[in-house]
Order: sequence, then structure tokens, then C-alpha cells
Amino acid sequence: MSFTQSLLQVAAVLTVVGAVGWGAAAALVPAGARAERLAWGFAAGLTLTALSVPLAFALRIRPGWLPFLVLAALAVLPARLLRLRAPTAPEPRAALDGVTIGLGLVLAAGVVLYALKALTEPMWANDFVAIWGLKGKTFFAEGRVPERLFLWKSLGFSHPEYPLGIPFLYAGIADLLGRWDDHAMALLFPLIQVATLLALFGWLRRRGATRQLALGAAALLSQFEPLYRGFTTGMAEVPLSFAMLLFGTSLCDRVDRTDHGAARRLVLASLMCAGTKNEGLFFVAAGLVVVALSALFRRGVFARAAALIALPAAVVAAAHRLLRRHLPLSDFDFSLFRRPGELVHRVGQTFAAVLRETPPLAVVGLAALVVLIAAGRHSPAGARLLALAACALAAYLFLPALAVAGPAWLVETAFFRTTAALAPLVAAGVAVRLVNGDRFI
Amino acid sequence: MSGRKLAALSAGAVLLVLFLLANSPRELSRRAAFLARSASLELAARRLGGSGAAFDRNFFIFLETLSRQLPRDVVGVAIFTPRPSPEALHLASYALAPVPVVMNPARVPPRWLGAVYDLPPPPGFRILAQLPRGALLARP
Repeated sequence: MSFTQSLLQVAAVLTVVGAVGWGAAAALVPAGARAERLAWGFAAGLTLTALSVPLAFALRIRPGWLPFLVLAALAVLPARLLRLRAPTAPEPRAALDGVTIGLGLVLAAGVVLYALKALTEPMWANDFVAIWGLKGKTFFAEGRVPERLFLWKSLGFSHPEYPLGIPFLYAGIADLLGRWDDHAMALLFPLIQVATLLALFGWLRRRGATRQLALGAAALLSQFEPLYRGFTTGMAEVPLSFAMLLFGTSLCDRVDRTDHGAARRLVLASLMCAGTKNEGLFFVAAGLVVVALSALFRRGVFARAAALIALPAAVVAAAHRLLRRHLPLSDFDFSLFRRPGELVHRVGQTFAAVLRETPPLAVVGLAALVVLIAAGRHSPAGARLLALAACALAAYLFLPALAVAGPAWLVETAFFRTTAALAPLVAAGVAVRLVNGDRFI
Repeated sequence: MSGRKLAALSAGAVLLVLFLLANSPRELSRRAAFLARSASLELAARRLGGSGAAFDRNFFIFLETLSRQLPRDVVGVAIFTPRPSPEALHLASYALAPVPVVMNPARVPPRWLGAVYDLPPPPGFRILAQLPRGALLARP
């Protein structure tokens, strides 16, 4: 089968997945917020697709359309009853000006460029081949989760301790498609990019940003090559960056009580973060800290928001524990905490490696980012998002010190790729600081 | 225009230029040409021409042929190669999944098949199928 035919089939599958998600998102996003509903709908659709696989395994039936449609019905029908109303009357449509058209073209170019990079060839990154794709293909081909993935030492390279959300998603798409096609399935990644951009644009607009500011933030993000490139396609960073943006924005909405859907969005985002990567669980914990700090200033926020954040992540963690028992993080040596002198030395090595490996142009970019942050005004939502990003960055800066293979190895192989996944969250945090009552930009 | 707005617009413009510079026109045109050239090929041929098999394209040809020759009830495959590497193990495990793979083990696990790549068959095995630059083997 040619690539074009296969791509059209995967596009059809993902359109159905998105349409189901769109239906479910009626209970997540206020009516009228179309960009956000598309983004959250895609997130909901992907989550249902991934969940349909372990559900089918548990029921001892073949994953595919039947379990997916059962889950879809369970999500979409209640969503019709819990549909959210528009909080305010929609703004009148403004005419397109030159700046808006220009930014739209930059954004479209970013999407097309990433699609080209993602779809050039079958997904090939080592982490796809050795971890995410290997598990997904195994689940799809065997129709179950074989225990050997968690027990055999010879399969240690596939990181049995990683969450299974992405392999379940790959297996779910393959089951809906009827075959394993690791080239056409790469379409998932540009679509996640588009959903991320829609989530960013829609959230900023709902938070009072002008169309130009929201579009400018999305256009810049669309061109962020360290995240959106061929190498990251198939790996966990692009999905995690989407999940972290959804988590951060829904956390802000819940704390600020913007609408009734915020709590539901927070639950879904927490599920997605915890199911995608181990640091997603850390990120959820960081969210708890941010909410606790917010609660110092606003009574009655913490307990309910904390439950909304922690419970879904705890359910995901417990399900993994049930499936594969406790597995240690094999890349890290936590006994270093008992040898503080050596640990401090390794932290120094980590910083040295980061400074050595940071390209000069990235320093210019970071300086521009600092200027953008300084040019903004105080915004509680912006502070929360940047605090979340700072927590994740601190973890990424510290973790190489614990790496079994040495700090330099982890910095060289993972640090820049993983920190790039914070870009959507940072973009939201920086841009929302540029919003103010008199429409700064 | 206020100083803040000017600073924000300037910083945004710097970021945009930096991000645009990260895209090499030569790389993009190479990708487009590769995609146009390979789109009509079958999936395995597209992977053969791609980055994942670049470290040893003959090894991927060997794996692809091996996967088509494996009996349905195969338990696992022990691959022997003169150039074992993590890359080769990962690609073999992925290409043959869900069939488990080990590389250059001291002993072939019971009921597993063997496969040699760029090596002669070891004594005590019979050849089930000839493969490009290798063979699929079983215990007698």
C-alpha cells in the first residue's frame, strides 16, 4: 500500500477519534470556545483511544472499534447532559488585518514544516524503536500486555518502568486502522502540534489576549524546532508538552474559577500527564505545590483542586503498579542521596555539561525570553504557569546528577529534548503576562 | 509605542528569526524530495531508505526477510552478528516484534530459533531458510 493511501486511512481514523472527542469536550469547554474545544476534543479522543486498549484486554476481547465506540458512547452521551454554556456573549468578529494574516501565515508554515519533518519517513528515533513503538507494536500484535516486557532483563532497554499511555495509544490507533503502520501513524504528531497551538490560542483569547497576541504566541511556538522536528516524532515529548499545557492552563482556570468545566479539564490533563511519562507524575506533584501556594491567598481552593489533580494521577499510577508491580527507575542511582558529597560534585558536573552543550544561539533565545517575561505585567496565571515550568526545569537540571551513566551522558542525550517540551507551557505563561485590561498588545 | 511593547515586540522578533534560522532550506527540500520519491513504495522499503536503518541497511534487509520467514509459532530468535550494538538490538527487537530477540547470547534459549548475520552457521544447527547475508537456523 502506498504512503498516500495509508496516510488517508490514518487521517480518517484520527478524524473519527477527534469527532468523538469533540462530542465529549462539550462537557469540558464552554460553548463558543471553538479552538479550545478542538484541542480538548482531540485530547479526549486520544485518551479514549488509549484507554480502549487495556479495557479490551481486561474484557478479553480484541481492541478496535467495539471497545472504542463503547467508551465513546460512555463519554459523549453524559457530555451532552453536562454541556457547558458560553460564559459571555461572543465577541463580534473583527476584520483580518495585515499583522493577523502575517502571523497566520507564520503559524501555517510552522505546521506544514513540522508535518514535512514528521512524515518524511517511518518513525525512527531510537526511543520510538526501543521503547514506545516496540511496546505499542507488541500490544497490537499479541492482543495483550505480555509480562516479559516487565520481567525480562534482556528487555531492560525498553524501560519497563515508563508509563504505558503512549504504547496503548499507538496500539489503539493500529487496532482502529487494522494494521501496524509506523509511517502513516506519524500523522499523530503534527495533529498534536495543531491541537497544542489551538489550546494555546484559545486559552489566551479566553484570558483576554487580543487575537494578534494569541496568534503571535501560537505562531512562535509552531516554529519551535527543538520540539517540532523529525527526531522527536514518535517519542513522548510532543504528547507530554501538549498534556503539560493542558494541565497548566486548566489548573489556572480551576484556581481562578473561570468556568465549571475547569475541574473536568484538570482531571483529564492530570490523567494524560501521569499516563505519558514519569516526569508527568512529577509535574502533577508540582501542580499540587502551585495550588497549595495559590491557596495561601485564596481560601477553599486547595482541598478540591488538590483532589482533582492528585486522584486521576494516583489512579494511573496504581493501575501501572497493578499491571507490572513496582519497577525502579533504572537510569538513576538514588543511593547518591546517601553520599551528599558525591551528589554535589555531580550537580556541578551537570551544570558544566549544560553550559558546555548549550549552543550560543540558544543563549540569545533565552535572553529574548527573559526580555519578554520582563516586558509583561504581574499575572497570577502567568506566575503559576512559569512556576510549573520552573519546577520541571529544576528537575531536568537535577536528574542528570543521578544518572547511572554519568551526568554528561544524560545532558547530551536527553536534557535539551526534554526541556524543549516545556515550550508550550512557557509560551502560555509568558503571553498571558502580556495581557492586561487595556489590551497591552 | 510604550517601552514595554517595544521590548516585547523586539524580543518576539528575535525569537522568530532564531526559530526560522533553525530550518535549513536544503534539509527541507531533501525531505520533500525523499518523500516524493518513496511515497509509492511499500512500508518496509520506506523504512529501509530512512534514518532508522542507516547504520546498516543490509542488516534491515536481513531482518525484514527474517520476519517474513519466521514460523507462526516461533517463541523467540537469537541473532548472531559480528557487530552487535544497542542500535542493532533495538531495531531487531522492533522489526521482529512481538517475537522476542536476543543478540549473541551464550546459549540459544530452548525452543528458540537462531539466525546468523554475516557469520557462518554454528555447528549443531540446521538451516531453515537462507537469508540475505545470513540464515535462519534451528536445533536439529
